[in-house]
Amino acid sequence: MFFKGKKNAEANKQVPLSRNLEKNTTHLKQLFSSELNKDFSTREITARYSNKRIKLFFYSSIVNSTKIHEGIIRPLLEAKGENLPSIITLEAIKELTDFDSIIDDINSGNVVLLLEDSKTAYSVNVADFKHRGIEKPENENAVKAPKEAFTESLNVNISLVRKRFHDKQLIAEAKPVGNRSKLDVTIMYVKDVVNNEILENVRERLDQLSVDNVRNIESLEQYIEERPYSIVSSLLYTERPDRAASYLEDGYIVLMMENSSACLVLPVTFWSFFHSEEDRYLRFLFGNFSRIIRLLAFLISLLVSGVYVAVTNYHSEMIPPDLLLAIVSARERVPFPVVFEVLLMEISFELIREAGLRIPNPLGPTIGIVGALIIGQAAVEANIVSPIVVIVVALSGLSSFAVANISMNFTIRITRFLFIFAASFFGMLSLTGAFLLWVMYLASLRSFGVPFLAPLSPSYKSTNDTVFRKIIKNEYFRPGQIKPKDLRKKG
Amino acid sequence: MFKKESRLRSREAFAMIILMIGVKISNTTPSLFAQTGANAMWLMPSISLVVILPSVLLLYYLLKKYEDKNLVELLEDVLGSHIGKVIAFLLFLIFFVLMAIEGRSYTEQLKLLYFPDSPTPFVFFILFAIAFYGAKRGLETIGSASYIFLFYIKASVLLLAVLIFRETITDRIFPIFGNGLKPLVIEGAKKASIFSDVFLLTMAYTSFDSSKKFRLGVLSGFAFVFIEMTFFFFLYCTTFDYNSIDKVAFPFHELTQYVDMGDFFTNIETFFMIFWLFAAFIKYMIYLYFISWIFGAVFNIKEFEPLILPFAFFGIVAGMVPENAVINELVFKSSFMNMITPFFVGFPVLLWLVAKIKGDLRR
Repeated sequence: MFFKGKKNAEANKQVPLSRNLEKNTTHLKQLFSSELNKDFSTREITARYSNKRIKLFFYSSIVNSTKIHEGIIRPLLEAKGENLPSIITLEAIKELTDFDSIIDDINSGNVVLLLEDSKTAYSVNVADFKHRGIEKPENENAVKAPKEAFTESLNVNISLVRKRFHDKQLIAEAKPVGNRSKLDVTIMYVKDVVNNEILENVRERLDQLSVDNVRNIESLEQYIEERPYSIVSSLLYTERPDRAASYLEDGYIVLMMENSSACLVLPVTFWSFFHSEEDRYLRFLFGNFSRIIRLLAFLISLLVSGVYVAVTNYHSEMIPPDLLLAIVSARERVPFPVVFEVLLMEISFELIREAGLRIPNPLGPTIGIVGALIIGQAAVEANIVSPIVVIVVALSGLSSFAVANISMNFTIRITRFLFIFAASFFGMLSLTGAFLLWVMYLASLRSFGVPFLAPLSPSYKSTNDTVFRKIIKNEYFRPGQIKPKDLRKKG
Repeated sequence: MFKKESRLRSREAFAMIILMIGVKISNTTPSLFAQTGANAMWLMPSISLVVILPSVLLLYYLLKKYEDKNLVELLEDVLGSHIGKVIAFLLFLIFFVLMAIEGRSYTEQLKLLYFPDSPTPFVFFILFAIAFYGAKRGLETIGSASYIFLFYIKASVLLLAVLIFRETITDRIFPIFGNGLKPLVIEGAKKASIFSDVFLLTMAYTSFDSSKKFRLGVLSGFAFVFIEMTFFFFLYCTTFDYNSIDKVAFPFHELTQYVDMGDFFTNIETFFMIFWLFAAFIKYMIYLYFISWIFGAVFNIKEFEPLILPFAFFGIVAGMVPENAVINELVFKSSFMNMITPFFVGFPVLLWLVAKIKGDLRR
């Protein structure tokens, strides 16, 4: 049954239009199951210019009815002229000859006009998909930065990028994806800067996709990434158009789709996840200060729990005596081993985090109170954990929020657990080893052929925008690791 | 072209050679030197350098002449397939035994200083397990990791040097030649194989971005690490004085236990241990990778990376042969270092002579 349906769809592809309007109408209505489909609309008009019948087909839910009325129906009824394109007042008009393209056009919000005694149909774009307005970024907040964020409409998103980067070489190439529901993936790049090899790679990956439906960027990311099991993402997900524009300018590629209030940037390096766009808007010292803080947060978040476990279990001689006494007296009444204690708190922190994310808005404050009470008071008073572990876990949890990017955030949260296990195993010996192997894993990764830790190692001619950035006037080069066609951007 | 070019540049070579030879400053090698050198042992690296440098330069000169050949290919090209393979196999054996002996030495240090209750084989196993996983990631990753960690490792060492400086008394280097010039020179010359890693790295001669960058990186790193070594041996001499220096088993760790940062942080040896471990892990990664590589090259195994696991295992097995740490250090390591020195001094000369007689050098 299923396969049969698919075969029929295949067969429809090359069916041309006939001269007979009635025959075409029946066929089209059958294709769209018009007796079942409530919003599939048909309208018949006798055109004044030719005195012939014209039929309009469209989905009433995804078109702008005023546009149809003002731009198509009224001219057809009232205007005189040579042919149909000269009468229609709307901007985009296309000639179609087969049913396959007619189906595609109706699905993407066009109105299709079938003419009596004609083998060509006309398709006019009157699409009006509903979407949110442009709002502030929700996840990538910044103080000193533009406040616009992408929204769930492709056209609006492209316009937001073009608004920031006026260049005739800025290309927005469309590639249809999906066998059943065709949606365009828009590849944006600057033609005389982007590296062709990477671009070809992306095109190939999109071509090779064989799925019925890719709904948005978020699923597309998983379809085109190289290593689905990896702990690190190989595409950057951002909702800031200014960030997308600055990456485009440097020769990166941006992927966009209808229905996503964000875009994907590729290829990425570790530093793309580590940086925030605000670093570049802040003055040299201020921006680098915030990067130091973020690096600190990154390391604390990764290592503090592991180091606590390792030091208290294996290297207690390292702790200054007074501090050691404080820790011991705080732990005096706690029955559990340190590892268990730390894991318990880390997991409850993750629970609060996950629950806080999913909880309906009106209940939001409750979770805060419960979480704070459980973590801060009750657990300590019940002697389940020692206060110092609360501090350690709170510190690592808090620090993880400073790594704003969601992919990197997950990476460090998962890695943190690995490090806690490593530390409990053989103290600093295994923790050091685990950290080294983790860094080596990062160093061995490639995102679309670009080494993940570049330009730190291997080095490339670039502005060396790694942990610290240079004064903006001294940034002469585009990032060399992505091999842009035009390396120099200044001077 | 984009994906095939090597990401190894001179800075990676620089970092790798520094880490490989540099860890010898912080293991038991200085105490080995101190057995005869006493308070003059800081001069011994210079003597070793004088002995080994001509051979090193000769080998690098030959590699430059025979373009696009790594160590084993060069041996086979100059000496013919059979003799070349025998020499290469000897090299493999030497570095394998070195790895096993030094691995045991590291394990004993770790065990004695930080994990006194853990069984030796277990610590050994962890050390090599981590080295194995790192080596599996490939040469490029090892190179990158060396470069990334080099700065932090050297920064910690520099911090140690600064902190220990107030403990040193410069007059302790006198008498300048310690127990006498003659034993000093003989022992320094015997231990010239301390720099043998320079020969091991030539295996990667063709894997770098360009051989010029490789030479630049290795030779400048070699110079750097030689100065660093002399400086640190000098620090040991001036901190411990002549009558205790040959009794200090782990001079580096002894230093880390001497120093403190103010009155609050008094026991900071674990802090230095972290960076020492990074260096040690990376060194064994390089060793494991290169040993498997030489073995693969000798026996024409193109895909040599699966060999890393068995060699890691046999490294542990061979390292467990010495009965205890003292025998391992003072008998096995000391005499083995003496034994291999003539080989490293000799084989580049042999290569050069044969190449000269064959007339290859005139091309």
